[in-house]
Amino acid sequence: MSSWAELHKAREEAAIKAEAISREGNTPQAMLLYVQAAELEHQALAAIDPLKIRTKAITAVSAVALWYKAAAYERAEQLAYSVLADPSIPAFARKDLRDLVQAIWTESSKQAANVGFLPGQVLVSVKGGEVITGGAPLDLIVEKVQTIQAMFYRTVEFIKDLPLRSRGPAPRDIQEACRPWLFQAAPGSYQFAVAIQEPEQLDFFSKQLGPELVAQQFFNILKATASSDPQQLEAVVPKAEYRKTFLKLSRNLAPTGKNFESIEFRTPAGGAPISLTTEARTVINQALKRSQPVTAESADATAEEHVGTLRAVDLEKDWLDVLIAGHALHVVGLEDAMDDIIGPMVNKTVKVSVVRTAKGVIRFRDIELDE
Amino acid sequence: MTDLRLTLDGLHERHPGLTPALGESYSEAACVCFSRHHQPPVTLTLSHGTTDELRVLNFSVPDARVQNAHANETDATETGAYGVSLAALEAVAGLVAVRRAETLTGADWYVATNGTDSEDLESCIRLEVSGMNAGTSADIRRRLREKVAQAGRGQSNLPAIAAVVGFKVLEVSISPMGDGA
Repeated sequence: MSSWAELHKAREEAAIKAEAISREGNTPQAMLLYVQAAELEHQALAAIDPLKIRTKAITAVSAVALWYKAAAYERAEQLAYSVLADPSIPAFARKDLRDLVQAIWTESSKQAANVGFLPGQVLVSVKGGEVITGGAPLDLIVEKVQTIQAMFYRTVEFIKDLPLRSRGPAPRDIQEACRPWLFQAAPGSYQFAVAIQEPEQLDFFSKQLGPELVAQQFFNILKATASSDPQQLEAVVPKAEYRKTFLKLSRNLAPTGKNFESIEFRTPAGGAPISLTTEARTVINQALKRSQPVTAESADATAEEHVGTLRAVDLEKDWLDVLIAGHALHVVGLEDAMDDIIGPMVNKTVKVSVVRTAKGVIRFRDIELDE
Repeated sequence: MTDLRLTLDGLHERHPGLTPALGESYSEAACVCFSRHHQPPVTLTLSHGTTDELRVLNFSVPDARVQNAHANETDATETGAYGVSLAALEAVAGLVAVRRAETLTGADWYVATNGTDSEDLESCIRLEVSGMNAGTSADIRRRLREKVAQAGRGQSNLPAIAAVVGFKVLEVSISPMGDGA
């Protein structure tokens, strides 16, 4: 019988090959290699000295992950449960195994949903503050989901080189062709996966606009909005009007630090996740300030900031009302405010930046969530 | 006398966990990432604890074939960051890659002091690597803080080290995670 070290080494070689082939897009061949790697790691697990607790735990997680990557969900689940039943398994491995079990459930439920999903999902997790493992305030999650959906639609419009939509929802064909679904994802905080439903119009996603490209571009844009290097966003989004829109959507996602601490995005293919924190929010705000056009205000106009509840918005008539200590602040001149940016803020605490003119007119500059 | 160079060539000869092909792939990806912003040689800052060490790294300017092989920026940044992190950890702490283990979203490397018995993972340290193609120094430090804070909130009782590589700003920030941070 081969030793743990020999089996583990053989498994490593198969898994490395599988990963490389998977990146080249040869999924069937990669799957075969993942099955081979999983078999070897499973055998390695059986060959370990039971007193080597840490080695056993790492190998077990590795074997379950390989069965999962081989899409052998039943094998993965069975092995995960059998290892979790062992009281000697340390906490780090328990956490990893629970995450894997939940990922297995998500994949199994997608198969059972009888709805086709395209590759290129994005995993989202909201952490800290009021958020606990597997639970979060409903309004917080609904608002984040709306913004993520808005950003997906904007990404498709950007890739299709459509003019920036200043009013109204995304065109119906984009909404129907790119309908994001939410799936519960691996826990650790409150997590969900956004997957794109297969469109009825199958030719919507051409080679130039594949679902993986939408997810990857969404990911690239989000990453660039949170970078302190402005050139990153300029490289990913050359059009200034789209850059500003993406910055505002990204700011809507980033925490103020009051309700939650961070929101993290990753793709199932791995790679470094993007984490939006309060620091990222500051970076985004600085970028937005830089992009703000210099307007000629009269000498007696004053810049003000107010915090209150956004009670009403009428983009067509160009005004919004913010309720501050029982009094409504009527703000006009919304200019480039957009439905998908401002809509999720209604009935929430917001910080609105305005300019009060000498005649007492309050003109809009910027608005952001303050909770 | 301290060697002030950082070497990406022949990683597999010093890191028993790496195959020649994988070591070569890490090195190639790192060269592609550096060459996006710099000409060789470059001086890298390796930050660990309160110490900043400067190391000179000479890399090969990749030809078109190598560039094409690492055309996916995300994959190249991740792969290149593994190569640079392993070389940096070897330089500052004498740690080398011994094993790779699969995770839900990718794989972890396990490192240990050079010469450690590779018959098990009992004394190994998990290495978590993150690469940034074009971030600033502030972005690198922020990413490292986030990784360390994340581990601090978790239940991990496995020793771990985080390394963040910034290819544009020529920095590698290294920190222990969890209880050791």
